[in-house]
Order: sequence, then C-alpha cells, then structure tokens
Amino acid sequence: MYTASKAALATLVLALVAATAVRAQGVNGSITATATVQSPITVTGVQNLAFGNVFPGVAKTVAYSDATNGGRFDVTGQASTPVTYSFTLPTNLTSSGNNLPIGSWTGYVNTTNATSGGSAITPSATPAGATLSAGGALFFFLGATVTPANNLPAGSYTGTVTLTVSY
Amino acid sequence: MNFLRSALVLTAVVAMPLVGQRPITVTGVQSLAFGTLLPGVPTIVVRTDAAKSGQFTVTGPHGAQAQVTFTLPAVLTGPGGATLPLTFGGSDAGYSETQNIGSQIGFDPKLSFLIIFSQQGSGSVFLGGTARPAPTQRAGAYTAIITLNVALFP
Repeated sequence: MYTASKAALATLVLALVAATAVRAQGVNGSITATATVQSPITVTGVQNLAFGNVFPGVAKTVAYSDATNGGRFDVTGQASTPVTYSFTLPTNLTSSGNNLPIGSWTGYVNTTNATSGGSAITPSATPAGATLSAGGALFFFLGATVTPANNLPAGSYTGTVTLTVSY
Repeated sequence: MNFLRSALVLTAVVAMPLVGQRPITVTGVQSLAFGTLLPGVPTIVVRTDAAKSGQFTVTGPHGAQAQVTFTLPAVLTGPGGATLPLTFGGSDAGYSETQNIGSQIGFDPKLSFLIIFSQQGSGSVFLGGTARPAPTQRAGAYTAIITLNVALFP
C-alpha cells in the first residue's frame, strides 16, 4: 500500500511536470511597425509685390525677376518631395472702395532662390505641381501688371496674394 | 524499480501526442506599415487593410487550442531616439482560421486571445493600430518590433 501510494504520488508529480512542460510549449514571431514622418510644409511671404507709384491711365508691370519689387514666397518641407500649389489672386487692389485692376500674372518656381534655372509659371487658382529641393526648399517669384483707370482716385492700394502648398 | 518503470511509461505518454502532429510555429508575414505621416495628424491602419496591416501566420496541430499574446510597443523609435506614440484599440487584432483577411474574428491585442487551429492546422493573425505623431514630430523613419507569442494548450 505504501509502495502503491508512492507510485501514485510519483505518477501525479510526473503528470504535473509533463503537463507543465506541454503548457510551456510556445513560440513567437515578430514583425516591424514602420512609419515615415514628413517635415511639415511652411510657406512664408518674403517680399511683397510692389508697384510703387502708378499714374492714372498708365499701366505698370513688375516682372517676377525684379529683385526689388517682385513678389516672393519661400517654401520648406520634406526633401525631394512633390507638392501641389495654387494661388489665390486678387482681381483688384483696393483703396477706400476704389479698385485698381491687377492681372497678367507671371511667375517662376525654382528650387533655389534665383529666377534662372527653374521654370516659368502662370500663377492661378488651378493646382500645379513642383518638387522640393534635396534640401527641402522651393521658391516662388511673382510679377503682375496693374491698369489704373484714367480717373483713378489717388491713394494707397493693396491686395492680398495667397500661396497654398500641400503634399 | 516499480517507481522507475512507472516513470518511464509516463515519459513515453507525454511525448506521444507530438508525433505526427503539425509543429507550432509563428511567422511574421507583413509589417504594420503606417506609411507617410504628417506631424500632428494621427494615422489609423485597420486590421483589414491588406497592404498595411501587420500579419502573422500561425500553425499548430489541427483542432488544437492555443493562446496568442502580443508584445506591443508603446512607441515607434526614429531619428536620434525620437519617439512616436503608437496605440491599439480593443478590436485592432483579428484572427482568421481560414487565413482570409476578409473573415476575421476581432480581439483586443492588449489581451490574450484563444484560437483554435483549423483542420489545415494554420491561421492568420492581423493587426492594425494608430500612430499619433506630435505636432512637433521630428521628420524621419520610425520603427518598432511587434511580437506575437503563441502557447499551445495540451
């Protein structure tokens, strides 16, 4: 009886050990989780498009290549990444309810701060594409023509040009 | 001597069920890929996304039960040790005993889940999640390791 109890106990212990061994049977495998964070886009109006003094009845043009008076936006973002851009352009400069028509927009886009080596563009509300430089930069240059009426009242006329850029 | 004979017999019994059975394995098949993120914009990958969800293949004895448990990272690690928070919802994991991404039983990847191997002895585990880049998140590539542990029930 004593021997039988010992055998039963041994059986139980071994069964538990065996069960533990089986229960411990486990494996694992791994994968990676990945993400790439892009640099946010910044758009900075660096230089106003300035027509200076204009005279009633005399159209005046500022070229995008005019380093002093041409408009300029600087864009930064993810290096070597395509973006789309569009402009919101005023049809008039205004002053106390008076309008000074502005049109004939011209532009230039470049990956360097220069009006050569890039591409001429026609600024408009229609989205167009460009690619940021290897350093994550893009430069837009802007020109236009104002056509003051013969009876345009004197004053200071302004308008807002907005450049929108997105990935 | 009786004791020794009993012990030897029992040892043989334990080993027998494994003979001829499909071995238990876990294979990482596809990364959980969040793709390109913008700072401040959370991005969700659902477990039914065939291209982006994390995927594992598990095999085991057909009809057997097993417990699956994830070891989940709280963050992805990127350039200069920068971290990007990663969260998992209560139904971001799924199991398909037919290995069909369109036919999953959802479960909480933060908890253990009991699976039953099909007659084919294989199944797939899918995983989605949410990456939450901060508004000031540093640009660059981020990664983390996700491990699936499978323990076979006797």
